[in-house]
Amino acid sequence: MNIKPWSPKTVIARSGATKQSTVPQTGLLRFALNDTAKLMVVACLGLASTPALAVDAPHFVDETASSGIDHKYTGGWEFYVGGGVASFDCEGKGFPSVFIAGGTSPAALYVNHSTVGGPLKFEEVKDSPLALKNVTGAYPIDIDGDGIMDLVVLRVGESVVFKGLGGCKFQRANEMWGFDGGNNWTTAFSAMWEQGQAWPTFAIGNYVDRNAPGGPFGTCEPNYLIRPQGGHFGPRVALSPSYCALSMLFTDWNHDGHPALRIANDRQYYRGGQDQLLKLEPGQPPHFYGLAEGWRKLEIWGMGIAGYDLNGRGKPAYAITSMADQKLQVLDKDADGNPSYADEALARHTTAPHPYAGGDVRPSTGWHPEFVDVNNDGYIDLFISKGNVSKMGDFANKDPSNLLLGQPDGTFKEGAMEAGLVNYDSARGAVFADFNLSGMMSLIVVNREASTKVYRNVGWGTEEHPVPMGNWLAIRAIEPGPNRNAVGGWIELRSGSRSYRRELTVGGGDASGEAGWVHFGIGEAERALVRVQWPDGTWGPFVKAIANNYVQINRDDIAPHYWLPPYADTASAGDAVK
Amino acid sequence: MKQWQLLAGVCALASVVALRPILAEDAQAPVDPTPIGDEHAVPYHLNEADIEAGKVPLEQIRDFGKLLFSARFTTLDGQGRPGATSATIPTKRPPGQVPMFFRTSGPEADSCAGCHAQPIAGGSGDFVANVFVSPQENEFDFDTVEPELSMERGTTALFGTGLIEILSREMTADLQREEHHAMAQARSSGKPVRVALTTKGVSFGAITCNPDGLLDIKELQGVDPDLIVKPFGQKAVWSSLRHFTVTALSLHHGMEAIERFGPRWTGETDFGGNGVGETITSGDLTALVLFQAMLPAPAQVLPVDAAHREAALHGEKLFNQIGCDSCHRTEMVIDTPFFTEPGPQNIAGTLRPEDVAKPYAIDMRKLPWSKRLNIRADGKIVVRAFTDLKRHRIADAERPHFANEKLTQSFVPVDQFRTAWLWSIGSTAPYGHRRDITTIHESIVDHGGESTESRKAYEALPVADQKAIIEFLKAQQIVPDDTWQADVASAPADATQPANKVQ
Repeated sequence: MNIKPWSPKTVIARSGATKQSTVPQTGLLRFALNDTAKLMVVACLGLASTPALAVDAPHFVDETASSGIDHKYTGGWEFYVGGGVASFDCEGKGFPSVFIAGGTSPAALYVNHSTVGGPLKFEEVKDSPLALKNVTGAYPIDIDGDGIMDLVVLRVGESVVFKGLGGCKFQRANEMWGFDGGNNWTTAFSAMWEQGQAWPTFAIGNYVDRNAPGGPFGTCEPNYLIRPQGGHFGPRVALSPSYCALSMLFTDWNHDGHPALRIANDRQYYRGGQDQLLKLEPGQPPHFYGLAEGWRKLEIWGMGIAGYDLNGRGKPAYAITSMADQKLQVLDKDADGNPSYADEALARHTTAPHPYAGGDVRPSTGWHPEFVDVNNDGYIDLFISKGNVSKMGDFANKDPSNLLLGQPDGTFKEGAMEAGLVNYDSARGAVFADFNLSGMMSLIVVNREASTKVYRNVGWGTEEHPVPMGNWLAIRAIEPGPNRNAVGGWIELRSGSRSYRRELTVGGGDASGEAGWVHFGIGEAERALVRVQWPDGTWGPFVKAIANNYVQINRDDIAPHYWLPPYADTASAGDAVK
Repeated sequence: MKQWQLLAGVCALASVVALRPILAEDAQAPVDPTPIGDEHAVPYHLNEADIEAGKVPLEQIRDFGKLLFSARFTTLDGQGRPGATSATIPTKRPPGQVPMFFRTSGPEADSCAGCHAQPIAGGSGDFVANVFVSPQENEFDFDTVEPELSMERGTTALFGTGLIEILSREMTADLQREEHHAMAQARSSGKPVRVALTTKGVSFGAITCNPDGLLDIKELQGVDPDLIVKPFGQKAVWSSLRHFTVTALSLHHGMEAIERFGPRWTGETDFGGNGVGETITSGDLTALVLFQAMLPAPAQVLPVDAAHREAALHGEKLFNQIGCDSCHRTEMVIDTPFFTEPGPQNIAGTLRPEDVAKPYAIDMRKLPWSKRLNIRADGKIVVRAFTDLKRHRIADAERPHFANEKLTQSFVPVDQFRTAWLWSIGSTAPYGHRRDITTIHESIVDHGGESTESRKAYEALPVADQKAIIEFLKAQQIVPDDTWQADVASAPADATQPANKVQ
């Protein structure tokens, strides 16, 4: 036996303290510490060798300069609001591209040329008909069900629907589809397919009537509902009352199969108004829920809406951004079928009322909320873009966006500093997407009068060596017929004893939306059962999905369809892997 | 007791403890630095970063891994998970529902070696050592052995598993490479591309790659859609020794690893609620895994008696002739001899190569027992494990014995099992995933499903030829390792981690 000496060496005491100690030079390991007092040193066991905690933030690398996106949202009063961005795959290659509002500057479509897991690379599409001025935001939606994303572009003035032609080409379709969204200061949008309809219903949210005498206070423009008529859009119908909407979301708040329209309104300009919930029943005129039906008045500077099933009850909670306290509206347990919401922002630590960095103690101004699991730990996170309206002296000027990280106990904690997301530009719309098909959600933030920022999520790693955090699944629900992307449906994912549910919606946020893979962080789960509740209420079967994959679920198929990103073809590159 | 008496007592005890090493050293007598009366089974913990940095000699890693494998964990070590279920995903339960030890749903064992004991530590186990595994996180406190609630599993011998895992990694890389290549072709050509997935002579069926990126996996066989060849577990559901070990420590011993149950994922330091907390460090796990990975590969031990020897050699030929080797592959070749830890097939919840500064690498050719291996001139190792690491349907209506389960495990159908490796079968009776078959002959004739043809061929053989096959299989043995304590210092490899994970 040839045992070589080894000493001293580093071991961890049972208490967790890392110690230099002498280990006997035999094959028999002995207790290495001879000082009883030292044994009582308490430290975190083994953590010396582990990276950051998953419940903490991933690292975001600012790749704005190298991303190919050079864009600003500019303009005066009309463009204090808006500043949206839409994310969707216009090339059909799987990488989400982005369309960014420009305000007085032209909007721009940037095609995603990133590689799998690599730096974020985009290229502007020149001479695109999408390059309109006075754009406030946009939402992708496959209006005609041809499998190619179309785009709804919101403007100060005429809003425009564009038919996607493939290859990131678009064609104006207002006339072809009979769309007339009015000539207003449009700041909000949502869409759904009503039961039995082959064409979507649009909600158009408008802000202040700039031409009204005595304005701008108390001069909110009417919002519109545009329902289908034949194979195209019918006339727009004004919704009354309207209270200067900044965000709209068709959402099945009570999961009864009939989405209602949640509207976040800006109390800065309305008089006697409040946030609203519009009931839309088949064959019935629209009807706003009132106090008698359990609806509680909410008067905020409502900016953006995001929904997520926080409690696993199949009924979404809504993050609604505002000035000062941000809201987190959760359906009362004893709501008894009524839309009675209580605010849990304080209890869950999502009020985010003041800047957490920069030294400005004045209240924050929140814009775009988005529920997303940025660290794939299975606990949903909440991003809130922040920024002063313009020069409002009562509110913070240095107002960085929040990345509120979901904790195992259901609360959230600020993680933007750790994530490297602190920026003092005035943020507006934003979008999280798996831009480089790495399974990690990266971020694009539109800033007012400053460059749009592009952040790549590199997990625990670095720019050169990204390291994924938890496991994930990306799910896409496809059904035949007009509502191809199952808008109004739900995706339910179950792994172990935990369930995750996401409603498939178009709308909300701060004039920003995304279409494509629906991302679920699933922590340590290695697989999950997934099912879809289709928009007509029918539940599909549970299908089996292996973690860290893109999975398409087709209606009427009992097996999932795996989708493969365009990985580098190592086999044709001289078998470099071996 | 008065306070001064208590204080005096404490001081006296402290003096004894503090002075004892000095006195012992003065007397030049052997020193045992263990505190008197100490009942820990784990004397210290290893730091993963130190292992990676080469600060811990491989002898120490191996010996510490062996210690952990044999340790009868105590509550002082963190044994027990009264507040957590046995689920692979950390899952809470109200404490006090079941005893600290519970024969069915666990924890049901004091140590790894309590079951992996035959013929020596690291080996297999008797029927009495069977465990009951529930894939259902919400029905964890089952107190019955009914197959509606759990799957009964015998103990698998771990000898040679380092080579097994390397084999699986290379097979995975091959399959994924083929898949990626076919998809690239489909995308560039705009036409579907069907590719037969074969690695090391083993067919896993075929997939069709569509230009839109969607995969048609209807023809895929014996492996999950992620194409990761998972070599461990009777159902081929564990992708690495580490993956299995983390799970088994929690399930069987209530020893929860920090890398899965610690604050990173649960926000807690005592997720299991045992009052001590999670204590198994990543360094401990690396040692435990490397101990297992370095367990000697079983070998063919031919009988000394000429007649038996002749029969065994003849049996091998018959084994191949009747098609047993179509699944129980007699030879598979490993391209790279390096076992790296953590391995590339781990995903979150089990330490991954991306999580560490540098995976620890061992050159398997330099281990003392490697002289038994068939190492080719090009440095590649020929593995005679008698497995293809693929799942097969091995039961049917005619031979339903192996379909005696009623729950799917990790999406694997009840009648499918990984091809058992037979290179230790001569040392590991009884047989079958439930260890309920007492003879090799019975085990063979219980084969159905995809193995029907070979089984029928076996049954058609003259009895003498059947006996020859059995004699051949009996010769596949775990060899008591007389070189176990030999120097392994040369085995650590400063090898670049084999890039055997595509993307």
